[in-house]
Amino acid sequence: MNLFMLLAIAAAMVLIQFVVTRWVKLNRLAWMGIWWAALWAAFSYGINPPLPNSIIVLFMAIITIALVAYLSADNEELKQAKESIVRFMVTRQYRVALLIVMLVIPGAVAAWIFASMNEAPQPPSSGRTIHPPPPSSITFQGTSINLTTANNPIRELQHTDEAAFAEHVANGRRIYFENCFYCHGDNMEGAGMFAHGYDPLPANFNDATTIAMLQESYLFWRIAKGAPGLPSESTPWSSAMPAWEDFLTEEEIWDVIIFLYEFTGFEPRAQGMPH
Amino acid sequence: MRILLTLLLVYIANPAVAQQENDLGTEAQRAEGKEVYDIKCAHCHGYEGDASAVATPYLRPTPRDFTSGNYKFRSTASGELPTTEDIKRSIRLGMPYTSMPAWEGILSETEITNLAYYLKTFESAFDGPYGNPTVVEIPRAPSYSADPDHLARGREVFEANQCADCHGENGRGNGESAPELVDDWGYPIRAADMTKRWTFRASATREDIYRTFMTGLNGTPMPSYEQTIDEEDRWALVDYVWSLSRDTPDYGTTVTVQGRSGELVLGDSLFEAAPETYFPIVGQIIEPGRAFYPGVNGISVKAVYNESEIAIQLQWHDMTAETEGMNNPGIEVPMFDPAQPDTLMDGWSDAVAALLPSRTPEGLERPYFMFGDSRFPMSIWYTDLATDSAAVLTGQGSGRIADNGIALERSASYEDGVWTVQFKGPRSRGELTMSEATFVPISFTVWDGFNGERGNKRGISAWYHLYLQPMETQSAVLPMAKWFLIVLGAELLIVALVNLRARRRKTA
Repeated sequence: MNLFMLLAIAAAMVLIQFVVTRWVKLNRLAWMGIWWAALWAAFSYGINPPLPNSIIVLFMAIITIALVAYLSADNEELKQAKESIVRFMVTRQYRVALLIVMLVIPGAVAAWIFASMNEAPQPPSSGRTIHPPPPSSITFQGTSINLTTANNPIRELQHTDEAAFAEHVANGRRIYFENCFYCHGDNMEGAGMFAHGYDPLPANFNDATTIAMLQESYLFWRIAKGAPGLPSESTPWSSAMPAWEDFLTEEEIWDVIIFLYEFTGFEPRAQGMPH
Repeated sequence: MRILLTLLLVYIANPAVAQQENDLGTEAQRAEGKEVYDIKCAHCHGYEGDASAVATPYLRPTPRDFTSGNYKFRSTASGELPTTEDIKRSIRLGMPYTSMPAWEGILSETEITNLAYYLKTFESAFDGPYGNPTVVEIPRAPSYSADPDHLARGREVFEANQCADCHGENGRGNGESAPELVDDWGYPIRAADMTKRWTFRASATREDIYRTFMTGLNGTPMPSYEQTIDEEDRWALVDYVWSLSRDTPDYGTTVTVQGRSGELVLGDSLFEAAPETYFPIVGQIIEPGRAFYPGVNGISVKAVYNESEIAIQLQWHDMTAETEGMNNPGIEVPMFDPAQPDTLMDGWSDAVAALLPSRTPEGLERPYFMFGDSRFPMSIWYTDLATDSAAVLTGQGSGRIADNGIALERSASYEDGVWTVQFKGPRSRGELTMSEATFVPISFTVWDGFNGERGNKRGISAWYHLYLQPMETQSAVLPMAKWFLIVLGAELLIVALVNLRARRRKTA
């Protein structure tokens, strides 16, 4: 939300309603035009991150239909609106204004054609699935792991043996800073020293939509199998996530998962929780 | 008066008397600093502050050893300790293009202050008579002047102070003694590439550049020039250094490939008018043979095409040209090749490759960016710069790279720190066709032989694009005129009808 912009639009509307109308009487048609423009400005400039153009076009089409429906709901209103348009077209004193409008509209169409033909060509955009559904089981270094039932074996220690748990956290820290922080960063914000050279960018674990909404078995799959283990809708050919089964043992992966949660303060999404 | 003067002399001559109280913080502050340090810093700088920790061997430049009291970035004279504010500033801003991130916004100002006090406990000198050094004043920078005489004066100062010995004739970090530079701990250290000021460790405003050569970088071969350059010349030098680079790396994602009529003859003139795109290069740390500190951090690319061929030019800065020995993308590299002082000739030559898909991609699919895979192989336009030939290799993954004997035309030269390699090949070969008005995926790999890079130990890039700009672009004038007239006609028709009806009604 771009609050400043939205407030400015609202202020402009209030100004028109209470100040401008003192001098200029606005008929229903003019009001509809003003509402249309205000909503277009709100969608185009009032929302952050900006809406895609296609969505704005869709919204404005719906709004146009709604405004026309509103106008045609009352016969008297419709008649008035129609008459004001006809009056603009036939009255001699509006002739210059009519000429200007008649030239501006095709001019705008021509300008739009010019702009669209001179647009810099865009490379194919890569909409990719960020958290694809995991397979039900994987083969890790020769043994099969069932991802739907797998639990982090270290997690139990959290409540039964604090000292042993702390050791696993420390080991996870070592693994993270030997292997992961070049991309995922010192603060797990995905801004490590090599992050700028990869596309897609490394995941930000502080973001509530990454490890906070995933189960530990899901993380195990993503870490063990890396980019090559992704389905094609997640563009496995461009992700720089290594398949860590080539570097780490099963316990090391569980340790580093524990460390990710300890460092960010998130809890893993529990098994069996509804999606 | 005489007594006053004597007192003043004693005051100046005896630092112990002159010393104000050292700024060491309170015990509570240091203790809180330690808590932050152990969580955020110790894995690189060591729990004892001695730069001996899990991540240290993989990093270059090597993380600071705080037990030495040698701080690169300081506002104090060469050889002196930094002020608390200096330490805080380094923590806040980090060191660009190293493993030291900027902590501003992540740690609070209080945490950063506490950390600075804790860092001081690693070196007892902070508690001694030199623990409170005086700051070298940096005057306000006069506004930047691109006046040729002023910059020429800067160039003279650059030459008179032998800056080129380390930084190179044109500041590309390729000076004669650059390959042998080591820091006080014996680790190799690179002279700054002045044409990339975004990589300057102590930031890159003109005041920062001024301060760096006034204070020197302790623990490195960079001395202070405070005594040798006078005030006016200092700013001439700053502006000269400033003039060597643009503001930002300006990384691009697409190379616009322009069409040319006639034969493409490799050489400088072929690419003269072609637009240039600069891409980041980072270490290959994805598969075994990881390169944690690649020697190259960016590559400039240009390309042109004609009816049947495409020519690609790759340019990058390299401290030294390794044109002896050998290299090959298929060479096996040990899983862990730790940081070690470079030796001038380990037998690895420089090499470069432009990586393309082996067939025209449909949709988003493309080869795995690490040398491809069996599903979708890669065409590797490769040249070993110890040879004078180039070839198109087929990659189906690391260790599965085949040379099918397809030669590629190539030209290569190394001049004053810059490698220029040009490839030329057909636009259409096998299943890959590079058509006009399409985007062709491309990525880049550079091997710095000096840095022991070979095989999978290499600098890599993500997938980017070549865009072959159509030779003839359709003019917008005709469609614009057409639609202008159509819309205008429709309007005239409506207005005429409305008027006609209105008149009829009037007469009726």
